[in-house]
Amino acid sequence: MTFRQFVIRNVFRNSRLYAAYFLSSMFTVMVFFTFANFAFHPVFYEGSFNNNALLGMGVAGGIIYVFSFFFVMYSMSAFLQSRKKEFGILMIHGMSSRQIRTMVFLENLLIGVLATVMGISLGLLFSKAVLLIAENVLIISESLSFYMPWNAMGVTFFSFVVLFLLISLFVAFLLRTKKLTELIKSDRTSKGEPKASGLLVFLSVFLLGAGYIIALSVEGLQVTAVFIPVAILVMIGTYFLFTQLSVFLIHRLKKKKSLYWKKTNMILLSDLAFRMKDNARTFFMVAIISTVAFSAIGTLFGLQSYLTKGLVQANPYDLTYHPYEEEENKEAKAEIVSRTLEEEGVNYEVRKVEVSYFSGISGESNIPVVSSSLYNSLAPLVDRSEVHPTEGEAVMVNGELPQTDTVNPSRNLMDKDIPLATGETISPDESVVSSALPGIVDYYVVSDDTYENLPEAADSDVQYVWQTEGSEELVEIGTQLSEEFPPGSLTAIDSIIYQINKTYGPILFIGLFIGIVFFLSAGSFLYFRLYTDLEEDRKKFGAIRKLGLTDQEMTRVVTKQTGLLFFTPILVALFHGVVALTALAHLFDYNLVKESFYVLSSFALIQILYFLVARMIYTRQLKNV
Amino acid sequence: MLEIDKVSKVYGGKMAHRALTDVSLKVEDGEFVGIMGPSGSGKTTLLNMISTIDEPTSGEVVINGENPHNLKKQKLAEFRRQVLGFVFQDFNLLPTLSIEENIVLPLTLEGEKVKEMEKKSLQIARKLGIEEILNKRITEVSGGQAQRAAIARAMIHEPRLLLADEPTGNLDSKSSKDVMELLETMNKEEKTTTLLVTHDPQAASYCDRVVFIRDGKFYSEIHRGEKRQPFFQQIMDTLAFLGGEHDDLSSVRHS
Repeated sequence: MTFRQFVIRNVFRNSRLYAAYFLSSMFTVMVFFTFANFAFHPVFYEGSFNNNALLGMGVAGGIIYVFSFFFVMYSMSAFLQSRKKEFGILMIHGMSSRQIRTMVFLENLLIGVLATVMGISLGLLFSKAVLLIAENVLIISESLSFYMPWNAMGVTFFSFVVLFLLISLFVAFLLRTKKLTELIKSDRTSKGEPKASGLLVFLSVFLLGAGYIIALSVEGLQVTAVFIPVAILVMIGTYFLFTQLSVFLIHRLKKKKSLYWKKTNMILLSDLAFRMKDNARTFFMVAIISTVAFSAIGTLFGLQSYLTKGLVQANPYDLTYHPYEEEENKEAKAEIVSRTLEEEGVNYEVRKVEVSYFSGISGESNIPVVSSSLYNSLAPLVDRSEVHPTEGEAVMVNGELPQTDTVNPSRNLMDKDIPLATGETISPDESVVSSALPGIVDYYVVSDDTYENLPEAADSDVQYVWQTEGSEELVEIGTQLSEEFPPGSLTAIDSIIYQINKTYGPILFIGLFIGIVFFLSAGSFLYFRLYTDLEEDRKKFGAIRKLGLTDQEMTRVVTKQTGLLFFTPILVALFHGVVALTALAHLFDYNLVKESFYVLSSFALIQILYFLVARMIYTRQLKNV
Repeated sequence: MLEIDKVSKVYGGKMAHRALTDVSLKVEDGEFVGIMGPSGSGKTTLLNMISTIDEPTSGEVVINGENPHNLKKQKLAEFRRQVLGFVFQDFNLLPTLSIEENIVLPLTLEGEKVKEMEKKSLQIARKLGIEEILNKRITEVSGGQAQRAAIARAMIHEPRLLLADEPTGNLDSKSSKDVMELLETMNKEEKTTTLLVTHDPQAASYCDRVVFIRDGKFYSEIHRGEKRQPFFQQIMDTLAFLGGEHDDLSSVRHS
């Protein structure tokens, strides 16, 4: 048996030990390949595709690659950690540390190449499904057909062979050979219970609190300014939260014997304290990675909804024609729109909206006032109730814009009086929120009689609006008409939203992709953590079962143990995520509650699934003594 | 107290292996019985049958008038933690717990009151001379101390039957002597029926009776008279007749 044969046999005959490391490497390769497969799709290179999106994909690919590097590295070091005793035994039998390094290097290369090849093959199997999903998210006019991704395969293979080569070299040098006794006894020596320092416990609470308060109290553009300092505060705070505060809390719990010495609590808590040093690091990483994933996806999702929702609210009608003042034949042009709709067989209602602006109400600006008959003819089209101001009364209407809260109060229209030609004034006594008048933020509605009595208008404005029952052809019609009209005068909301989704799609897809990759690898970190303790747990539970621990009790302990492992970091990340998204909402001045809820709860759901699967596998392996 | 009736164990698989053949044994209440035999004679298999860790292929084990092998899983676990106490060769103490926590573990699983547990652990620790180390971790104490802690854990819930599998196997001769003397005292004072599996004739000489098995069959048994020294000699003689490997006679062990 040559040295190389020994190494190869060691891997293949010990496959269970290597499985976890191999699988996570393979998973990483698969993710990267899937992304490359998408990014290298010929459709994106046949001309019309947005250059920025291509650049974005390049950057995203880079991020995934760097992340893969750290992920593989982490898996690697966790794997080597669990093999200390094996190295000790080999060294006793005369293996030099150079030979050990060579062994680790060869092993890694073997696993790396295998993982790369398998990862690419698996990725290829799933590629059609991924392309289908991408097609739907992206709203690409051309379909993403399946193709033989030689480019993607080449790039993935080359990148990962380099990656594994680098990591192998790196780790082989990092692998410091400690004293022999330490290696051999590594499975028996106590890592010791970490101690918490009061100062650092306080610091963790203080830093997190400060970070949260700053993040929640700033508004508007300040958010971008405090982003980095807050991120640093929260990161340090989170680190101490796991390394100090958690230790402190567990110590507190352990002191309370009525709780600690109760049934299986003793096994659970002592174990937690014992492993806290290892757990803290994993918890920290998982919490930060998940926070990044939450915030990134939340931001992208929120941004999209902000853009589209804002537009829909500002343009409540399917088509709006707002001619420029100097334009001629306005009537005729409006007629063209109506005719086109008729030709396409779309049912519609059209309104001519004439708005007059009056001065003398609020400072220098002219305030629009409309008659109740005009308002009431528009209101049903956008599902708003009519208003009926009586003689000498006015209703103030606020436009339904996302920024309503901040724009309107500045004019304080509720406190102003409207002068009439007769010399009297009327003051508004009611306010309503409605988007019946397109593109106007706030205005008064007065009864028709009162409207007649208003002084001469300072300015006036005409718009035409069309409301249909909704039709898929609107996108097409809108795009076509907008080209025929002077730029900006005709707003076809459906085609605008379509355009936005089309350019935004790739960004959203990439963001989602990276977020999901981060999140999934966070899950793998946790499973790794669990897996490293498997042998120890098996021995431990084996011993307690002989003393008379029922299977049920064991399952209960394992459930709590895995539950804490899986949900502590995620809970912290969810908190961070909520704060981050709230700060983001302050930046846009837009309510993100719904979007945050979707993003965070879907992540929580995935995590619960992940937990259930991991718990099932782990319990099965434990019972399998 | 304990009745073993024609117990046989066949390990299945491609190469069926008969580990025990029709072994019968009766142990009276409060008796201290040793089981000896060369490596592979089936000592540990027999103990596993009694401790309900393994099931016999045929025959019956009755402990305290009850056959634990007929119990459901849940009941069986409860039976183990109420009726049986275990001492292992490699202690099987949990490294995450302190000595005291290890000792009270069986009571904790039962859901005993904290005051009661503290009282009992102190009591038994005093008896075994380990009250000084109650707050230490198991990595900080010697093998003898660890085994005494394990005995404390096995005895704290006052089991009816104490099973000890090579309890001196990992100890030096001084610690072995201490542990055996303790087991003897506990047997006499607490009237706990004790079953000891061992290689070590020195350890076996503390028993009231030693049963020898060979090749999975009952071989012979000898009773102890007044003095320990002649009993030790008797055990050595029987072992010589038994004709195991030479190192089975020494106190170098492998199980």
